[in-house]
Amino acid sequence: MKRKIALLSLVVVLAGCLTACGAGDYARRTDDTNTMYVGVVQASFPTAFMPWLSREGIAPTIASTVYNTLFSYDDETGNFDGIIGKDWYYVDADGEPILTDEGRIDYERLEAEFANRNHLAVKVILHDNVTWSDGTPLTASDVFYTYDLATNNYLSNHAGALAWTADLRHGYDQNTGARTRLGLFYYGNRHEHTYDIPEEDKDTVLYMHVNTVLGAVTSLFTTILIIPRHIWEPVVCRENQLNARDPSGELLDCYCNPIGSGPYTLDTERSGSSMIVLNRREDYHLTDDDGGPLYKVDTIKFMLYQELNVAIYALMKGHIDVLHSSISSNYIRLFDDREDIFVSNAEGVYVQTLVLNVNPIESERNPIRDLLGDVDFRRAIALAIDPDELIEQVANGAAYRTSAGLMRERMEDFYNPDANILAGDQEEKLEEANEILDGIVPEKDAQGYRLLDGQRISYDILGHPHEQELISFLQIQMQKIGIEVNYAAKGSQPENTFLYTSRFDMTIHGVIFSLANVDIMYNAHFVQLGRTSNYGRLQDDALRTGIREMRNTLNLHRKYELIIELQPVIAEQYYKIPLYTSNVISIARTDRYTGWQVVPGSTAYNSDSLQNVQRVGED
Amino acid sequence: MKKSFVIKRILYAVFIFFVVLTLNFFIPRIGIDDPAERYYPPQGGMSDIEYEIIKQITREQYGFHVSTWQQYLNYLEDLSQFNLGVSLRSGSPRVSALIGERLPWTLVLSVTTLIISLFIGVLIGTVAAWKRGRWQDTLLLNASTISVALPAFFIALMLSFYLGFELELFPAYTNPNMVAQFDWSWEAIRVVANNAALPVISMAIGGIVGYGQNTRNSVIAVTNEDFILTARAKGLKQNTILYKHTLRNAMLPIVTSLGMSISGLIGGAIIIEQIFNWSGMGTLFLEANSTGDYPLMMGIMLFLSTFAIIANLVTELFYVVLDPRVTVGEKR
Repeated sequence: MKRKIALLSLVVVLAGCLTACGAGDYARRTDDTNTMYVGVVQASFPTAFMPWLSREGIAPTIASTVYNTLFSYDDETGNFDGIIGKDWYYVDADGEPILTDEGRIDYERLEAEFANRNHLAVKVILHDNVTWSDGTPLTASDVFYTYDLATNNYLSNHAGALAWTADLRHGYDQNTGARTRLGLFYYGNRHEHTYDIPEEDKDTVLYMHVNTVLGAVTSLFTTILIIPRHIWEPVVCRENQLNARDPSGELLDCYCNPIGSGPYTLDTERSGSSMIVLNRREDYHLTDDDGGPLYKVDTIKFMLYQELNVAIYALMKGHIDVLHSSISSNYIRLFDDREDIFVSNAEGVYVQTLVLNVNPIESERNPIRDLLGDVDFRRAIALAIDPDELIEQVANGAAYRTSAGLMRERMEDFYNPDANILAGDQEEKLEEANEILDGIVPEKDAQGYRLLDGQRISYDILGHPHEQELISFLQIQMQKIGIEVNYAAKGSQPENTFLYTSRFDMTIHGVIFSLANVDIMYNAHFVQLGRTSNYGRLQDDALRTGIREMRNTLNLHRKYELIIELQPVIAEQYYKIPLYTSNVISIARTDRYTGWQVVPGSTAYNSDSLQNVQRVGED
Repeated sequence: MKKSFVIKRILYAVFIFFVVLTLNFFIPRIGIDDPAERYYPPQGGMSDIEYEIIKQITREQYGFHVSTWQQYLNYLEDLSQFNLGVSLRSGSPRVSALIGERLPWTLVLSVTTLIISLFIGVLIGTVAAWKRGRWQDTLLLNASTISVALPAFFIALMLSFYLGFELELFPAYTNPNMVAQFDWSWEAIRVVANNAALPVISMAIGGIVGYGQNTRNSVIAVTNEDFILTARAKGLKQNTILYKHTLRNAMLPIVTSLGMSISGLIGGAIIIEQIFNWSGMGTLFLEANSTGDYPLMMGIMLFLSTFAIIANLVTELFYVVLDPRVTVGEKR
């Protein structure tokens, strides 16, 4: 009996082993269709797609592929490129375009005539061949519905949408849902306004009133994904809000089967929590120069990886074509001898800065922290940091220096070289830094650290664990000028714990300034107090006045001039000291697709790559 | 089993449950004084008034517009209806539904691991104790030292890279279609077994050594007891002494560690699940944590705590069945 039991156990174990054995099913290796396998490292994939998805993880990538905005913003030129929208311009009260003879926006007239008005009128012309993925034409009515819903929290329950449309002069009472202001005009509500929209333009023309600032159209044009009226209007109501906390069955059905106007549709049959499949729409309205599909890939499969090392090995072993997650420069050597792997070393857009607490609230003041309020003291700290050595040692060379004006050099038309005031020979800079400090705090202790009233000048730098290497480097740099710095853990909610409450000396903070966001970001970083990114509570009159003028001018040329003029003013504050801008390193295989594009701030998987890749073995 | 002991244990478990429930409510709220500022920082050309409106709406959305005390009462009311709330993720799925989706997959891993660990661990531990001082015993002791020195995630990564990526004996990570295509067919079960192999091996190594060590020590302790000496003196067969007398009496510490393992069963192994892309409770918690989805975090924590409390209660009661002396400490 015992032998029989032993034999049976052995059979069960062997059967189990045989069942469990066997390599994984890596579909890409045998897939000869035009399908791109994209690895994504994150915790999970969404399975329900509320159109205005969150901005985390894969969600914005999927959203911007399934849905479209009116325009996209070209950061280098400052122009809006058409997607659903074909053209746009400011108009006068009669709906006539305010254009120069060359057909460009006449900013001088705009400034002369509209600076004191309470709104600007904008005319948007849509492409006439845009369709939803269910075949229904996309019209001005859809755009009206989208913006109208975004401003009506009573139906949308989406605070983010309210923020995106904050500059649109169209709104609803949040409690009753009654419209309080009309600022959207199309053929369908022509009885409510005087704009002349001919019958033939009824599907393609829309007017809107926005606040009297040039940046007002940016988030309206480039952030809000246009949604189909015929799908959502029958479903959305007070009891079934667009962003419902407890969505009904029909609402969930709309979430799970998104109908968009983007170049791809969601394959709901094959998608799940570990894989998202997108299929190219053959009827997408934008095409390449030859009239062929703008995007070259038939199917995109996003594969979820929860661990970066596993994802990198998966790519190296041919399980995926491209990794849509950036990797550390430490990994680059892994691919030195791999001719089948393309390493995209793209210029980053995040500038890492050392933020000093220059103006703490009264209760958080102390003599040593107060030293940071002295601009000369701050200059000494800034001069002590050797950016080249920092890039070499901390970023393994995969980063570049950034001007103290915090604008990227690549933005040639707006970059001001005069703001690059921290360039120069490091030995001389160090000498100058010590000279400055000798004038402010000459006394030193036995270890060479400077003293203030007998107390060592020592600061904590708030950082995340992955920033410890950077802070250790800064520690060495600061030692050279007799200032002690130490790492202090930032924690999971540093804003509430340390930053908003002024309970810090210094912190590491990434900033992005671009043409698209300077209106908001300059204010948030250098002017506004309270719960903003101005953690060190800088208050400088010249900077404040300049930023206000830049935000409010209707003269685009003047605006650009001011952006250039403000950079040296920002630099001379030595408030957010530039450290480096990390490159975005990512990898892709070249055995199925070639033609990967390197786009600043992006991984190898990006819109340009999708438009340019070619399948290996095909002409 | 004494009735008073059982009632006391149950009341104690209820008290612990209430403490856990209360902590579960308040701990995630530390630092979230205003969800509006967390989820919607100022943007656009918003005026302060507009931003205040947005903040108020967001507070209402997340139930922060009433006092903390009222929020706590609302929370208790929801729980009384077995409502764990809705997640902040897109589509606002119910927390209970998300847990329900992930729980079976975690159980697949953890129950399989537990069975394998227990079966092999007890077997090895018994052999090591019976062959005390010989190579079998030395092997177990060395394995024990090594398994303590090597964390499970390291073992998992090594197994994934060598057995999965390099040798391709097992899947290096879970097939993304496994969950979606599961239909109880033999092929689906084979795919699950195939994909679960490396995670189970990674988790089981520590368990086998742990149970082995526990069993060894326990068996050795019992072997030195007088009644074993008596059994030997009576001339009983070695197998009878081992199975009928030694092992039965050595079970108590093993049951204790088994009870502790059961309470941790559904928590999953966060890092192991993460490395192998296994969609279980561990990764669900990781997702909730990384996205700041605190209703989901609270739901998972409460569910895990409740399961642990029940598992501990059952273990304690079972303990009494095995050894009636356990109630000796109770007031008579």
